[in-house]
Amino acid sequence: MSLLSRSRPAPPPTLARPRPPRSTAGIRGWFRDPRNILLALVALVVAYLAIVPAATMAVASLQSQFLSTGPVTWTFRHYTETLGTSDFWTLVGNSFAYAGATAVISTVIGFGLAYLVSRTDTPAKFFAQIAAMVPLIIPGILNTVAWALLFAPHTGALNVLLRDVHLPAFDIYSLAGMVLVQSMHVTPVAFLMGTAAFSQMDSSLEEAALASGAPPLRVFRTITARLIRPAIMSAFLLMFVQTISTFEVPQLIGVPGRKFVFVSKIYNALQAFPTDYGTVGVIGVFILAVATLGLWLSRRLSGAGAAAQTISGKGFRPTVTELGRWRWAGLACFVLFFVVAVALPLLMLVWSSLLPGYEPPSVSALHHLTLSNYREIWHTPGLVASVRNSLITAVLAGAVVTVISALVAYITVKTKARGRGLLDGLATIPLAVPSVVMGVGILYWYLTAPIPLHLYGTLTILVIAFVTIGLPYGLRYIVPGMAQIKDELEEAAAASGASWPRTFWRIYVPLLVPSLAAAFLYTVIVAFREISAAIFLYTQGTQVVSVTIYQQWSNGSYPIVAALGVVIVVFLAVIVAIVRLLTRRFGLNRQG
Amino acid sequence: MIEVRGLTKRYPGRTVSRNAVDGIDLDIPEGKLVTLLGPSGCGKTTTLRLIAGLERPDAGEIRIGGRLMCAPADNVYVGVHHRPIGVVFQSYAVWPHMTAVQNVMFPLQSGQKKVNRAEARRRAMEALEMVGLAEFADRPAPALSGGQQQRVSLARALTREPEVLLLDEPLSNLDAGLRDRVRDEIRAVQQRLGITTVFVTHDQDEALAVSDEVIVMDQGRIVERGQAQDIYRCPREEFTARFMGISNSLPGTVEAGGGAEETAEITLAHGRLRCLTSGETTVGSPVNVFIRPESLVLSRKDPSGRGWKGTVEFSIYHGDCWDYHVRVGDTLLRSRMYREKVGLSHGDPVFVVPEEETAIAIPAASAAAS
Repeated sequence: MSLLSRSRPAPPPTLARPRPPRSTAGIRGWFRDPRNILLALVALVVAYLAIVPAATMAVASLQSQFLSTGPVTWTFRHYTETLGTSDFWTLVGNSFAYAGATAVISTVIGFGLAYLVSRTDTPAKFFAQIAAMVPLIIPGILNTVAWALLFAPHTGALNVLLRDVHLPAFDIYSLAGMVLVQSMHVTPVAFLMGTAAFSQMDSSLEEAALASGAPPLRVFRTITARLIRPAIMSAFLLMFVQTISTFEVPQLIGVPGRKFVFVSKIYNALQAFPTDYGTVGVIGVFILAVATLGLWLSRRLSGAGAAAQTISGKGFRPTVTELGRWRWAGLACFVLFFVVAVALPLLMLVWSSLLPGYEPPSVSALHHLTLSNYREIWHTPGLVASVRNSLITAVLAGAVVTVISALVAYITVKTKARGRGLLDGLATIPLAVPSVVMGVGILYWYLTAPIPLHLYGTLTILVIAFVTIGLPYGLRYIVPGMAQIKDELEEAAAASGASWPRTFWRIYVPLLVPSLAAAFLYTVIVAFREISAAIFLYTQGTQVVSVTIYQQWSNGSYPIVAALGVVIVVFLAVIVAIVRLLTRRFGLNRQG
Repeated sequence: MIEVRGLTKRYPGRTVSRNAVDGIDLDIPEGKLVTLLGPSGCGKTTTLRLIAGLERPDAGEIRIGGRLMCAPADNVYVGVHHRPIGVVFQSYAVWPHMTAVQNVMFPLQSGQKKVNRAEARRRAMEALEMVGLAEFADRPAPALSGGQQQRVSLARALTREPEVLLLDEPLSNLDAGLRDRVRDEIRAVQQRLGITTVFVTHDQDEALAVSDEVIVMDQGRIVERGQAQDIYRCPREEFTARFMGISNSLPGTVEAGGGAEETAEITLAHGRLRCLTSGETTVGSPVNVFIRPESLVLSRKDPSGRGWKGTVEFSIYHGDCWDYHVRVGDTLLRSRMYREKVGLSHGDPVFVVPEEETAIAIPAASAAAS
């Protein structure tokens, strides 16, 4: 699931379709090939989705007035004013400390677990893999809520426990608290990247060092660690970018502790009146720059790593380091991770969902257990509507992403069309645009754009945001599937007299069904969990469920939030199970 | 040099009932190159990895140079890095973050007997010189071709002067032309240094070309062992005969000879033939006769009167030879002719004349058992 590994199988070096001779009928001839029209259309749509939000943000930061009737001039005033304040640099300091510490912790834990799972004989690996997957199912907002309940200064379950054993309580509303919560949330991604990196590494490289007489620790230091380093750096940068651009932890944990970072600053500036759109734009552009740089570096590193690793030939099997008695320490790591990242937050949610009002776990509280919160969900105003909105937008976004990704994948993998590299690049831009920037950029654009449709305040604008955010993930599933389909299959269809649209429909679509379904469902999950962009785009009547959770939380309706959370986790778990079943059942190797 | 007794390795969770390595005994004499030959899954690579210490056996003993390397029964296990070995892997396993010479220096700087940098470099250069790569010493490993990487890997395995060299399918990732060159190089270096070598391969031509001795393996067991030319000329087991590509097999009965004699007169469905035997046949016992395609000569006439009458089914042209498939009675025989085409085509009547004393008669053990 690492979006960064560039190990796209290169298309086989067979003859690709010859481009239609350009000289014959000029422009007309070009348009006669449906593939060219498609290429143009897809490129336009993708470019629109990818470029507009970030560009709008940049433009807004350079205009003297935004959303006002007065005359507009171009100016650097916002930059000079914002960058000149010490507040801004405190903000930078906080943001970097928060994202940096989170990235270090999640990368270390993620790669540590990945090493234990893929390269040692630690028992119960399956358990660890499941444990590492579960946090992906828990939306960030719920994870944040659960931790806030666990470590609430006075009543938090863990703080009560700490006080009972005469230890100082932990104040979650601090930078350390933000780092803790966010690390638990992003560690699974680091774990997945780590597993991929370790399994791509030919273990005969390590065996060769052992057979050269180097003791195991030295092998780890001089070979394993060196070879895995680009992947580690790449994961670190990705975690950093992801952390710096998400909404829930900074807002729910940071703001009560008066620790502002970029994201919470943007959100709160937009809530204030009169709104300082310029400053928001400047901060937005700043994160955009940081994210782009981080992602670019990360991609380069993982590219370099992959290039270095592919030199080892075929026929490798993962060898396993025997840890002897230390395997139990490895198992302890799994259990600890499971308890902290999975069991604690989930149990906290379940516990709170069963009580009429929040109270820390105790025997006396057992008497108050009730299912009334689950019934309450149906009667809370707006809640059912927001679930419906979430389902509609997520499913629509999933469908659109699947179609666009399939076409983009076809063009980039299967054709030699000019500009296909550019298209590929465009489609991955959204990865580098922080969701917050995406949300604000889309908001700005549809408030001011000279287009006849008024999309602001509709579900469509949310679908547009989710499609843009989901596109790189969709491609991630479909491109490898497309690459596995041999060119000859299309050529054989053409040689049988089938037109191109018919070939696509009868050959590619059926063969791609598993990838398409996985891309669809994964986008649904991403959209369903999304809050960082949605928080800027919803209006009365178009709330999605993540936003509702945030609002209910702000109102102090913890039990409802917890009950709704449990329902959502179960729902997402089912979808994730289906995705895994699909990818496993059909494998990614239908064609060998 | 290498002694193996009762070596057994099970893979946990495998559904196959056989062990990956099923109680094999081996003696590999000093200075010899011995090949473990067999189809994939026969346990040859596992055996090599057990000798290297990359896998732990479930039972048995391994000694290198008289020293006990592992004996699970006595809880003895010497770690890979303490064994006097050099290993060349199928996938080269050249470290991509180092140059060629750094790769070769690594064993000298990280192994048990460390030497200083200058000395390590000098010896690494010698090793690279030996495999003809001195001029590429400072190239980063990924910039080397497959064949060069495999030679770096060989040099690396040799620099610290191991007692035993272990080669795990070292040629199978190389292109056809390169394969022969690297193969010859390995054999030349091995003979020059006189180093005890175990060479794992699934390719019988490769095995015959490099080995002092060939050990044929199947299903985790040793089928037979012998000098390369003996294994080729007169395999004692049906499995070996088939694996060596002797594709014609006919049932027969021993008429005369066998026993202590090297040859025997065998009666086949189509006539009599004097065959090589492994000396375990007795008069009257059933045998399977294996005949190489090149030992079956085709002709239109049959002056000797020994020919078997048949019909040509089809022919295949290979450039240096023709393969004919000839139906004799209800069996299909393959014949290979290195002469210019005799002008035979589908349906032509023809005489198949088997060469004397090249076919191999092997006791029909399996038939008798069942």
